Amino acid sequence: MAIISLSYRYLERLTGADRDLILSRLPMIGSDMERVEDDHCDVEFFPNRPDLFSVEGVARAMRGFLGIETGLPDYPVTPSGIRFTVDPALGPIRPYLGSAVIRGVSFDDESILSIMALQEALHWAVGRGRSKVAIGIHDLDAVTPPFHYRAAERSHRFVPLDFTEEMTMEEILSVHPKGKMYSSIVNDFPRFPLITDDRGQVLSFPPIINGELTRVTTETKNLLLDTTGTDERAVRTAVTIICTAMAESGATIESVSVEGTQWPDLRPQTRYVHAGECNRLLGTTLSQEELSALLHKMRFGAAPAADGAIRVDVPCYRADIMHDWDIFEDVAIAYGYEHFPAGISPTFAIGTPHPVSVISGVVRQVMTGFGFLEVIPFTLSNEEVMYTRMQRTAPAGVTRVLYPITEDHTLVRTDLLPLLLEICQFNRHRELPQRIFCVGDVVSDLATYQKLAWLSIHPGADFSEAYATADAFCHELGLAITVQESEDPAFLGGRRGAIMVNGMPAGVFGEINPGVLNGFELEHPVAAMELDLRVVPGYPALPGTP
Amino acid sequence: MDLTQNEKRLLAALGNTGDADPAALADTLSVPEDAVIQYAHLLEDRGLATIERTVVTDYELTDEGKRYAEEGLPERQLLESFGSRIPLAELSLHPLSRIGIGHLRKKGWVTIRDGIVEKSPAIAPGDDERALQDPSSNEKGIPELRKRGLVTGTETVTYRISLTPAGSVLVRSGIDTREEVGTLTREQIISREWQSLPLRKYNIGKRPRRVYPGKLHPYQRLIEEMRQILLQMGFTEIYGGLVQSAFWNFDALFQPQDHPAREMQDTFYLKERVTLPCDFGKVRDMHLHGGTTSSTGWGGKWSEEKAAQCVLRTHSTSLSIRHLADHTRPPVKAFCISRVYRREAIDPTHLPEFEQLEGIVMDEGVNFSHLLGYLKEFYRRMGFSDVRFRPGYFPYTEPSVEPEVYVPSLGWVEMGGAGIFREEVTAPLGLTCPVLAWGLGVSRIAMLRLGLKDLRLLYRSDIDWVRDQPSLIPDLQGGT
Repeated sequence: MAIISLSYRYLERLTGADRDLILSRLPMIGSDMERVEDDHCDVEFFPNRPDLFSVEGVARAMRGFLGIETGLPDYPVTPSGIRFTVDPALGPIRPYLGSAVIRGVSFDDESILSIMALQEALHWAVGRGRSKVAIGIHDLDAVTPPFHYRAAERSHRFVPLDFTEEMTMEEILSVHPKGKMYSSIVNDFPRFPLITDDRGQVLSFPPIINGELTRVTTETKNLLLDTTGTDERAVRTAVTIICTAMAESGATIESVSVEGTQWPDLRPQTRYVHAGECNRLLGTTLSQEELSALLHKMRFGAAPAADGAIRVDVPCYRADIMHDWDIFEDVAIAYGYEHFPAGISPTFAIGTPHPVSVISGVVRQVMTGFGFLEVIPFTLSNEEVMYTRMQRTAPAGVTRVLYPITEDHTLVRTDLLPLLLEICQFNRHRELPQRIFCVGDVVSDLATYQKLAWLSIHPGADFSEAYATADAFCHELGLAITVQESEDPAFLGGRRGAIMVNGMPAGVFGEINPGVLNGFELEHPVAAMELDLRVVPGYPALPGTP
Repeated sequence: MDLTQNEKRLLAALGNTGDADPAALADTLSVPEDAVIQYAHLLEDRGLATIERTVVTDYELTDEGKRYAEEGLPERQLLESFGSRIPLAELSLHPLSRIGIGHLRKKGWVTIRDGIVEKSPAIAPGDDERALQDPSSNEKGIPELRKRGLVTGTETVTYRISLTPAGSVLVRSGIDTREEVGTLTREQIISREWQSLPLRKYNIGKRPRRVYPGKLHPYQRLIEEMRQILLQMGFTEIYGGLVQSAFWNFDALFQPQDHPAREMQDTFYLKERVTLPCDFGKVRDMHLHGGTTSSTGWGGKWSEEKAAQCVLRTHSTSLSIRHLADHTRPPVKAFCISRVYRREAIDPTHLPEFEQLEGIVMDEGVNFSHLLGYLKEFYRRMGFSDVRFRPGYFPYTEPSVEPEVYVPSLGWVEMGGAGIFREEVTAPLGLTCPVLAWGLGVSRIAMLRLGLKDLRLLYRSDIDWVRDQPSLIPDLQGGT
């Protein structure tokens, strides 16, 4: 989650509105207020809006939303004349580099922290934990252009940030805290990404750590931004969001030539969207002019065009605008969710329950009619409960999860009865008799279907009770059954029956084997039954493939 | 006056004589004497009888007492062992002197002066001595003898039960002593004998033994309530597999393959893989470049391998999207309430599996206003009359909305998410109409409605808790 700390003092200054107004309207542009403190608030923004991960970005959006300053923000970029080379050997490792020069910054401790926080939030939301994108910010005046992004020997040495000694890049991965945290991103490559200046001084070992040399302090006036990654679009997003945020704070942006391409490109992207499509999606009747005005509030450039179209200039930092509907959502936000009429569509449809639910509903009715209490156990279980304690062997086709969180939850249940016995174990100090049942999903061979299980525990529970209840249940479900001797080791020999439907085994009932009772720490006899509900007339055939 | 059967029978028995002892009454009524006294106390409370209690004590000499009865008390024997006077030193040689001399002085039978013991004149036998000869004849001497351990007493309590005048009047007016009828028999009902039978009246002040009916789990009852609301609103129910391919669970919903929710920290992956649907390429193209829509897609790479992995479904939307893939023509109104899985450690508010409710509407001309309308109506029927909407974000909807409902005790509570499926989701399936979709955590409503602080209780099935929960669960406004 991207939770951003907004200092009221800075936010009020950048927005030009007081904190109460800002705080009351902030949720309506899409955020969750986490904490409101005396001097700042912590706000969670959605991961698709990394442009809101800084005070500068929030102020920019709020100025538009509150009508203080609307329309497209302009970010002029002048060439710095600085060059960056990119080593083709980085192709399989980390091929993309974006850069920019940011001049005239005036850092204090608070604004350095703010830019660090933006950097970290971008690493999380855009960079996928630095694997996709990593950002380095350097004191430009400490180094000598042009700069070189290259694949270096793992033994290359430099002084990483927060250290005083030189070490090899390999050592950094095993010693430096950041190195240990992110080593998995680069460790498999024979060479490591490295950024140096023209004199060979190290700026950065992306995506791991910067060099100590270019550390940013409150004295720093000019910045060099390096942004490396495996996805060019994500690199561009990170660069534009940082550059525009810095521009909002008063800095000027200059471009860097990366292998002939000028970075950053802070120009808007133009889309033509249709007023009719927008109105159809939102259920509104807004004119092109009204739509344009709403888009201005969201900091788009917008003007009516021919044939009901609207020319929309999308600010470079709006990485979330992938589709016309993304723009229409901004129209809805500017319009105000509270202003929509909210009425049901005239869609005619008749509600129909699913046949599986109809059957499980009848099963519930029958079982409660017999005086049984419904229980709802988890579907996740383990070998011990599901098979070992039941004295059964696990069948083929058990669904096992690859990375269980606990030993209790390693597989998806294939039976319900073990879980009922487990519930009895949990309730063994509760008043007897206990008669409980469960109807629900089981999975085998990846196919989901429903079973019923019930049990009755009390000093008089016996085979007769099991048989009578099983027989009555099957009768109520309209099942024509035959009963054979069962071999199920969970039940007691001579006191167990296999339920056969159309000659196929569908269930089992009888007296639970006392060995099983011992396993579940139960002290009274248990009569029980389990049935595969697929044999119930009307149970639908469902697609087996996930 | 409602007399019990036992009281009536005792009254009737007393009616013959006016008074009697419990033994005789016990004999007449064929009950133990204790019971007779118990019934008599009930009659006494009503002022119909009196109980006279008499205590008789029988005394018996101890072995020492018996010996003295024969030989005289030690002081008497001492007194008779000498003439009118004797030196104390000489008397002290007598075997009974140790017990006797004190009593001699205390009773004033002798005076002792200057070592000489002198008899008092005319010493008649005392009460104690007479009682020693016949304990029942002389009450006055008994306490002294008991103190000296020469006599023991055994108390016998006897009762005499008599009718009071009021009791006599009642007896004379006639008492129906026929056995009271508890459970009516078939014969008594069809013969109309019940009309003349004395019917036992039961004590309504005493609460009955608790019985436990068979019933649905409270959580299932709430799920059932939500199902009924959606069915009534014209939605068709969907049911599907717990195991889904990543393709249907994520890719078909335009969730990028490097999305954090897809990582194994958050999702239960299985080792099994499936074959992708033959037209999976449309979904792939949408991810790569937006297919034929106005979308840019996610760019980057898209791996068939990743899409073919099986997962335990992480949301019910995987069922909605498969339903839409099979039902591409409008209108579709469908819902499901289904178990979903997140790789979360168990704590009071997080479980690795829980229920989600999801509704979808696909039709010509449905729009965002309709979505808000469906949400309002659904929540209104769930008992939440105040609903408001805030912008939200979900990877597969645009616009997205987070509904909040007003709960008097808690204020505004976030209640799930909703939106219109992105075209990137609907286009690959060949859908041409917008799809409104909303989902909510069912367990969250269950916790509110059942007043639970700990989600685990829903699945742990504490039998006492399930037994104790009423079947009727009022909504938060107190309605049903």
